Amino acid sequence: MATTSKNMNVFYRQKKKSTTSTGKKSTKSPSPKHAATFGSDITQPPGLVSHGGSLDLKDDFDEQEQVLRQFDMNMAYGPCVGITRLDRWERAQRMGLNPPKEIESLLKGGKVKLESLFDGRV
Amino acid sequence: MEVDSQEQLQRKQSTYLSLDENFEIQKEVYRGQQYSQIYFARLHMMRTLLYSLVPNWKSHLPVCTVLELKEGKECIIFGTLYKHMKLKPCILDEYSKERSVAPLIKPHNFMHQDDYLVLEDESGRVKLGGTKLSTSVYVTGVVVALHGKETSAGAFFVEDVLEAGLPPQIKRPLKSREDKYVVFVSGLSIGRSSSNPLQFQLLVDHITGHLGDEEEQGLAAEIVHLVIVGNSVEISRGLLNGQNLASKDQSRLCEPFKELDILLTQIAASLPLDIMPGSSDPANFALPQQPLNRCLFPGSTTYNTFRSCTNPHCFELDSIRFLGTSGQNIDDLTKYSEAKDKLDFLERTLRWRHLAPTAPNTLGCYPFTDRDPFLIDSCPDVYFVGNQEKYETCLLKGLEGQLVRLICIPRFCETGVAVVLNMRNLECHALTFGTQISS
Repeated sequence: MATTSKNMNVFYRQKKKSTTSTGKKSTKSPSPKHAATFGSDITQPPGLVSHGGSLDLKDDFDEQEQVLRQFDMNMAYGPCVGITRLDRWERAQRMGLNPPKEIESLLKGGKVKLESLFDGRV
Repeated sequence: MEVDSQEQLQRKQSTYLSLDENFEIQKEVYRGQQYSQIYFARLHMMRTLLYSLVPNWKSHLPVCTVLELKEGKECIIFGTLYKHMKLKPCILDEYSKERSVAPLIKPHNFMHQDDYLVLEDESGRVKLGGTKLSTSVYVTGVVVALHGKETSAGAFFVEDVLEAGLPPQIKRPLKSREDKYVVFVSGLSIGRSSSNPLQFQLLVDHITGHLGDEEEQGLAAEIVHLVIVGNSVEISRGLLNGQNLASKDQSRLCEPFKELDILLTQIAASLPLDIMPGSSDPANFALPQQPLNRCLFPGSTTYNTFRSCTNPHCFELDSIRFLGTSGQNIDDLTKYSEAKDKLDFLERTLRWRHLAPTAPNTLGCYPFTDRDPFLIDSCPDVYFVGNQEKYETCLLKGLEGQLVRLICIPRFCETGVAVVLNMRNLECHALTFGTQISS
């Protein structure tokens, strides 16, 4: 944890009430792990160190999610709000829009968010 | 005088096929979706269709989306029309700061000369100009193809319009058929204080062959089907004000249904009957209305000739396709556009290939996600609408040889008129029941 805090110092200037350090925090604030505050008297936004100490800078944003978000945003397959990604893919398939097969395998493979990126935010 | 010497008259029969599957919502699950999904489905289906019609219309012009429009470039765009109406009632009016004098009497028609049309597709929307597209004819929700160009003001000047036109019709051999009749009746409004039970009883007696001499009975034996097109009951407003009902009122609430059930049992014992829900019936408000619950008709449901159907209703009798609604779609068009008569509205919905284009904008509709059930894929032979002011009918001929009988069925409670259609030649006539005894 100590090394992590050092990295934090390098990355972000320590300011009281600073908002810059929360710039990349996930908007879904996960419950902060108590480990994050051990041996550290610097105020840390909990989200950044919630993933077992690794920096959560990418905002639950991995490549797969990126691809799925591009699928969500593609207007050719219709609006994405209020429909699960798999349902939307199947609908596009039925309408003959030929959505890419990788999306289907990604969604059926699990470990990805099944709801569109606007789910719960709109 | 011999009474029972001749053999009994047999009623003619016809094969029935129900095509209401599209309008049933039992399998639908509501997951919080919005109406954008049904508009997307509608736009996609219609656009694919219109795209295939464009080569025959104007093959030399390029097709582009609304965002790709360039000033002065002539092209074809597809999209859904939206009509901005100044007088359309809007929930936000309640919150507006300027308390403009709201008219005390609601207008029956919300048209205004300042209304304008906008075309919208997935990429964007553009205001439409020019005189080719009449704002009094078109309503929100119609999908069309437009030929024109963008003006310097940013609007799209329309030079020509392409509608989908009448859908293709399956050819049915109409010759060498015998006379078989279908009777349509709507707006019975049982339970209304002004409804006359004798009128409907006369209709029932005529259809079941209890009236008239042999010749009349012979005519009645040729009636093969009865369709009741909505608004069969009317519950007095006083009972529905949200207060708890006393037991006396509860029995008053059920009376119209008991009366209707008795009459329907008489009919169901004699010939096949379809009953559709209407705006005043106890069915869901949003289209497509689901069939009236069988528990409302304890007597009639024991007969397998009794069928409770959806609104809109589509069925085939002896392979003649019938399609119709209880009137909500046409009534909504009357409020937001104008035409010289109701048959014009019927024709327009066929040309736009959509039963209720104003749904879900101003007409209640279920938020389907993957389809729009109101799209008309195949041209019906008979297209009817119930609960109208008067009986009107005409024969519509399409460009590809389609032939449709359009029927406006009047409210029986007010006019005493039922409509009879001959399946042999698609000819229609009115059957009027009067109960005034002239002095």
